[in-house]
Order: sequence, then C-alpha cells, then structure tokens
Amino acid sequence: MDQLTASLIFVGMLFALLGSGVWVGLSLIGVAFVGIELIEGRAAGGAMINTIWGASSSWTLTALPLFIWMGEILFRTRLSQDMFRGLAPWVQRLPGGLVHTNIVGCTVFAAVSGSSAATLTTVGRMSIPELRARQYPENLVIGTLAGAATLGLMIPPSLTLIVYGVSINESIRELFIAGTIPGLVLALLFMIYTGANALLSKNWNPRVDAPMSLKEKLVNSRFLLPVIALIVLVIGSMYAGIATATEAAAFGVVGALVLAAVQGSLSVKAFKDSLMGAVRTSAMIALILAGAAFLSLAMGYTGLPRALADGIATLELSRFELLMALLVFYIILGCFLDGISSVVLTMAIVEPMIRDAGINVIWFGIFVTVVIEMAQITPPIGFNLFVMQGLTKHSMSYIAKAALPMFGIMVAMAFLLIAFPEIATWLPDVLRPTPGG
Amino acid sequence: MIRKGLDALYAACGAIAALAILAIVSLILLQVAARAFDFPFRGGPDYAGYAMASASFFGFAYALQHGAHIRVSLLLSVLGKHRFWGEVWCYGFAAVLSSWFAYHACLFTYQTWRFKDVSSGLDATPLWIPQVSMAIGSVVFAIAFIDNFVSLFVTGEARVKGGELETPPEADLSPNASTAAKGE
Repeated sequence: MDQLTASLIFVGMLFALLGSGVWVGLSLIGVAFVGIELIEGRAAGGAMINTIWGASSSWTLTALPLFIWMGEILFRTRLSQDMFRGLAPWVQRLPGGLVHTNIVGCTVFAAVSGSSAATLTTVGRMSIPELRARQYPENLVIGTLAGAATLGLMIPPSLTLIVYGVSINESIRELFIAGTIPGLVLALLFMIYTGANALLSKNWNPRVDAPMSLKEKLVNSRFLLPVIALIVLVIGSMYAGIATATEAAAFGVVGALVLAAVQGSLSVKAFKDSLMGAVRTSAMIALILAGAAFLSLAMGYTGLPRALADGIATLELSRFELLMALLVFYIILGCFLDGISSVVLTMAIVEPMIRDAGINVIWFGIFVTVVIEMAQITPPIGFNLFVMQGLTKHSMSYIAKAALPMFGIMVAMAFLLIAFPEIATWLPDVLRPTPGG
Repeated sequence: MIRKGLDALYAACGAIAALAILAIVSLILLQVAARAFDFPFRGGPDYAGYAMASASFFGFAYALQHGAHIRVSLLLSVLGKHRFWGEVWCYGFAAVLSSWFAYHACLFTYQTWRFKDVSSGLDATPLWIPQVSMAIGSVVFAIAFIDNFVSLFVTGEARVKGGELETPPEADLSPNASTAAKGE
C-alpha cells in the first residue's frame, strides 16, 4: 500500500474515532491496531503490550501523579481565600488595580499546580465576587482570568511539558526551566494589557479600598508566604541541579502536606480527596500516553513520519514558514482537542519534522505550550471556557469574547518567542550542569 | 448484588492506585535519603516505574467510573435524542478494544512468568510481579466498559457521569449571586 493511502486511512480513522466520542486514549489504540494489523499485516497484540508496558512503567512519568497530587492538596487548603487578600494590597495602586490579582494569583498558583482548570478555580472562586463587588468591568475580570489561568500549562510544574518531555524523550527538568521566563513574560503582557485597558477606558471607575500600611500588607499576605516558600523549594531544587523533576515533585508533595497540616486544612477527607483526584487525573493522562506510545510505534512501522518529514524538507520551507504552518495547525486542532491530547497525538509526526529543520526541541516545547494555551480559550472546545462557564454561568460566547484579547496576546507571545528564542533557551543554557553541553 | 460488587471492585482498584502513588512518593524520598546519607538503595527508579504502572492501570476503571477520561463529546451532544446510539457505539467499541487489550496484557504477563524474564535494571525484579498490576488493571477496565455497555441497554444510559471534561466546580458565581457579595 502506498504511503498516501496509508496516511489517509490513519487520519480518517483517527478523526472518525475521536469525533464520534470514543475516549482519546482508546481512539489512539484503535487507529494503531488498524495501522499494524490491516495496513502492515502484522499481529499487533505483542508489540502493543511491550510498548505500552514500557511507556507506562517509565521513571520519567512518575513526576506526573506527584505534581498533580501536590496541586490537589493545595487546591483544598485556604490558599484560595488567602490569595486575593494577600495579593490585593500589593497591586491596588497599579493601573488596572485589583484585576491584577487575577493575573498574579494565577501565576503564583501555576507555580504549584500544572493544571489550568485548578488554577482558574482556585483564583476565580475568590477574585470574581470580590472584583464584582468593587464594580470592575465584568468582561475584563472574566477575560484576564480565563487567559491567565492558562499559565498553569506553562509555568513549572506543567503537566503539558511533562507529557511533551515524555513523548520526545527530553529532560523534563530542562523543559521546566525553559518554561519559567516565557511564563513570566506572558503574565507581564497580560498585566500591561490590563493596565492599558484601565488607562484608556472611559468608564473605568472601580471602588477603591483604603490604602494599607506595609505592616498591614504583610499581615494580610502571611498565609501566602509559605506557599511562595514552597514554590522556591520545588523550583529552586530543580534549578540548583540537586533534584530531578520527580524528586522535586516528591518534595512538593511533602511540603504541600506540611503546609496544609499547619493551616489545619488537612483532614482525613481532604487527604483522601486530593489523593483520589490525583489518581483520576493521572490515570486519564496515562491512558492517552499509553495510546500515543502504541500509535507512534504503528506509525513508525509505516514509515509515515519519516516520509512526511522528508516531504516537508523537499518543500524547502523556511523555519518561519514551518512554524507558521504548525501554529495554524495546532490552533485548529486546539479548537477540538485538549492540549495534552493534541501534543501526544502529533508528536510522532512533528518531532522528526522539527529535528530535521534544526529547531531546538526544548524551545519548540515552549512554543507548542503557548499555542496550546490558546486552545484552552478557543470555542467550541476550550477547557477554560467550560470551567469558567461552570463557575460564572455566563454563556460560552460571552466568555470566549471576553477572553479574545488574551488570545491575541498569546499569538503575540508566539511571535515574540520566534523573534527572541532566547526567552526560552537562555535560562536552561545558564543552568545546564555541564557547560557547553 | 452484582452492581454493588462491581462498584466495590472499581473503588478497590482506585484505592490500590492511590497506594501506588504513595509508594512512588516513599520510594523517591528513600532514594533522595540514600543519596544524601550514603546508604545503598538500588533500583529506586525501577520500583517507582512499576508503582507508576500500577497507579495507571488500577486507576483506569476508577477514573472511567468518575468520568475522568477525556473524549470529544461535541458530536454526541448534537445527536440529541439519538445520543443513545452514539453511546452504544462508543461503549461497544471500547468494550471490544479493552477486552482485546486485557487479553494481551494477561498473555504477556503469563509469558514473562513462564520464561522467568528479569528486569535488566539494577533491581533484577522478576518482571511478572509488577506486570500483574497491568493484567488485573486492564481486565477490570474491560469489565467496566462491558458493565457500562450492558447498563446502556438495561437503564437507557451509561453509568459514567460526565466524561466530557473536568466536572465544573460547585461554587456558584453566577451574576445573580454577585449581588450577595456586594451586600457584604
């Protein structure tokens, strides 16, 4: 069978299965089965189990449930309540005022959790009613929150980056380090937008709280400081090179448990709920990864990724053109799939392409993450839109419209990354243990 | 009776998966301690990997029962009253595929046991021991799909609730609720 037919069958089956509502992980296994049994005419079972067992019992993957658990523990602490109170006095005076609590709050929570839904809920639970009570414009409140919550995907610990690292066999620690500065730059862009919006808007007239003294500010943020200490511990141990991503995750779990215990929010129920939450999310991602490992194997048999990479090479696209094509491709894919699925689904094909084009794979991981962040807020399937809808009961189209400027900012961020790749590559280069490596 | 038994089975598997995550944390901390205080502890990464596989495979059915596995439900929701048949297709396909998977997982584990395959890592574990978790977990996963498939015809709907996306949090922050916040 020639490769064009084979690839058409692959893509067609994949869309049919995914589109008809079959679970993502199982769709991938199904497509791979057809690829090996029908297209290649081999028995698929043995190869499948070997591959999936190898992929599922990998040491690198262990960072995943631990980081999820850490986020789940902190999600159940008083953090949500303290976040707004602790941050508000510090950002009050900036143009844009308390809307910045959304962005800074998301940035802080993103640094302890890899999930953007958890980030959105934790920050939004408190900040939405408080900001409404002070008459901040609703669309700005909703938009910045939906946008900034996607930082959960970028700022380490990031589940997307773990999945990306596992898929292409690159160091998760290095990806985490690379994600830090782009995450902060993106947060800064959101803040600049908010500030500009406040300065330019004619009806900007929120209620202003009485200013606080430095002592009052510190008292108000006393519960936030331990969380920041935890972030420093987890991320710092990776930066200093004394811990791998998994080890840092284990520290994070212990630290989060201690923090919750000290706050008095570590009941037996909270402990169990957080652990079972971690079981569910981690199993969900593991199923997708298992399917993707098998699909990669099947595609490897057909030689499709290689042929496609060679085909792309003969087109002699410039790097920029290739990246633009991928940008559009991922945005469209992101309209229908969640970020983690779109990464694992495409990596078998995209990886040889970018390696051939001489694109730094660590950098590309960050680039893809920005694009996937966009997918979180694009209708009809945008994770954050759903969560936001559950939280605020606004209509989907209203939320999507409110988040549109954030989408624009993320597109700008993607171009910034292309223009200045150092945003992502500088820090890992500096912190790499062996110089010149 | 069967119903209760199956639900208990999924819950038990979830609990084992939770223990596996606890085991990962302990193994990694032990490994860090071994490095810091210089006592021998071999094969930590391998053991953690096995625990990871247990956490995943035992977690599959439990996660399914809680609607945690991701699917694209756009078309299903468009089907409206014909959604039933869409679900029949999804659960039917999943039941067949997961059974096929479970069969191979068991066969594979049996073969590793028969040929006494041993891990090539420092741990030198007989591989069938950790692989039993994959065999059991995938069998229960297949049972869960068959269970749901049967429930579809008996009760008209699958037992899995949600499954479209993460369940939205309970907090109600609808615009009407905000008047209460203003009154504070």
